[in-house]
Amino acid sequence: MNGRGTPTEERACYVYGIVPTGVDPSGLEGIGDPPARVGLVPHRGLAALVSAVVVNGPLGTAADLRAHARVLDTLVAHGPVLPMRFGGVVRDLGAVVDELLAPHEDAFLRALEDLRGTAQFTLRGAYEEEHVLRQVLADREDIARLHTDVAALPQEATYYERVRLGEMIALEIAARREADTLEALERLAPLAVAVKASPSADAPADRAVSASFLVGKGDWDAFGTAAEGLARRWAGRVGLRLLGPLAPYDFAGDAVEARRTEGAGRPWG
Amino acid sequence: MTVAQRPSHYLDRPSSSGLVDVIDLILDKGLVIDIYIRVSLVGIELLTIDARIVVASVDTYLRFAEAVNRLDLREDKTKGLPELVDDMRQGGARSKTRGALEGVKESVGEVIDRVKGDKEEEPERQERPRSRSRPPHKERES
Repeated sequence: MNGRGTPTEERACYVYGIVPTGVDPSGLEGIGDPPARVGLVPHRGLAALVSAVVVNGPLGTAADLRAHARVLDTLVAHGPVLPMRFGGVVRDLGAVVDELLAPHEDAFLRALEDLRGTAQFTLRGAYEEEHVLRQVLADREDIARLHTDVAALPQEATYYERVRLGEMIALEIAARREADTLEALERLAPLAVAVKASPSADAPADRAVSASFLVGKGDWDAFGTAAEGLARRWAGRVGLRLLGPLAPYDFAGDAVEARRTEGAGRPWG
Repeated sequence: MTVAQRPSHYLDRPSSSGLVDVIDLILDKGLVIDIYIRVSLVGIELLTIDARIVVASVDTYLRFAEAVNRLDLREDKTKGLPELVDDMRQGGARSKTRGALEGVKESVGEVIDRVKGDKEEEPERQERPRSRSRPPHKERES
């Protein structure tokens, strides 16, 4: 990254996120091939994490996506981070200060304070296919009956029946997803400062649960243990994966919004 | 990393997020820069913006129906349900259980490959879930 004020025509400024000043980004590899060096654009108590990006090439290779997440997730272990959504590019370093940091300085600073000492943990569960299908057939007589009917006929003769059968199975699994998500939240939410469950509507077919938790550093171990307990309880039925500590992707928006709105307090209790 | 990551048979705690998880986290979430920056925002082409899978689709339903049928074949020709369930507990049936749900996961990788390999594709077409035959795509560079 060149010094400020000297962007060349084809280069611009990719923004990863916002941190308080004092963060050391040296050694972090950014987007691009070869990976760009990540630098800071400071403004009073804030700094934007940026790297140079070529404007006339598209963004978003697998390596780019991973780099964006890696930069933010590495830094959250050391202090609060406001992660930007992937793909934010600004004309030059001056504009990062004048249009991003300076006008929203107060909201960003206060949101960072609200997030200090926390990180996001994201829990993802996927049903074991064979197990869940057998359960559905065992518990739903109507589905088992339609399934027997469909199986008795040649495949070409049962297109609509097969669609209907699959739809009924998908709906039954969706009902199980709701119940399982509820159970996961009951067990883990008490250890979190804030919780966000992904909407069930756009869940992949095999999803049992997807929820993000903002957890204070002192509770990270306890949270991991509780998630482990849930995984043991669901063993053989749901494969459970815990990501984190991550940058607060699911919570930064609310944190800043709450501070931009006059008179609003912290977005969570 | 300061978190004690105890070894576990049950809970998967990857040390770095997989690509599918990364996509979920950073394409839809986080601060949207457009809210703050109007004048100097650079519109840059994003390969990944529509790399999503639609799951509530006829394709998915048919895959469920096929998967449930495969369960039957296995029961009839090999052994009864209790033995199969035992097998599953021991992980013995793992290789046999690749089916509908795996197909859904696979499509994410295919979307990404396609996004990497074919920059000209229309977003509308990228939202389709993949059928089981892999579309041809260029070899990955590097």
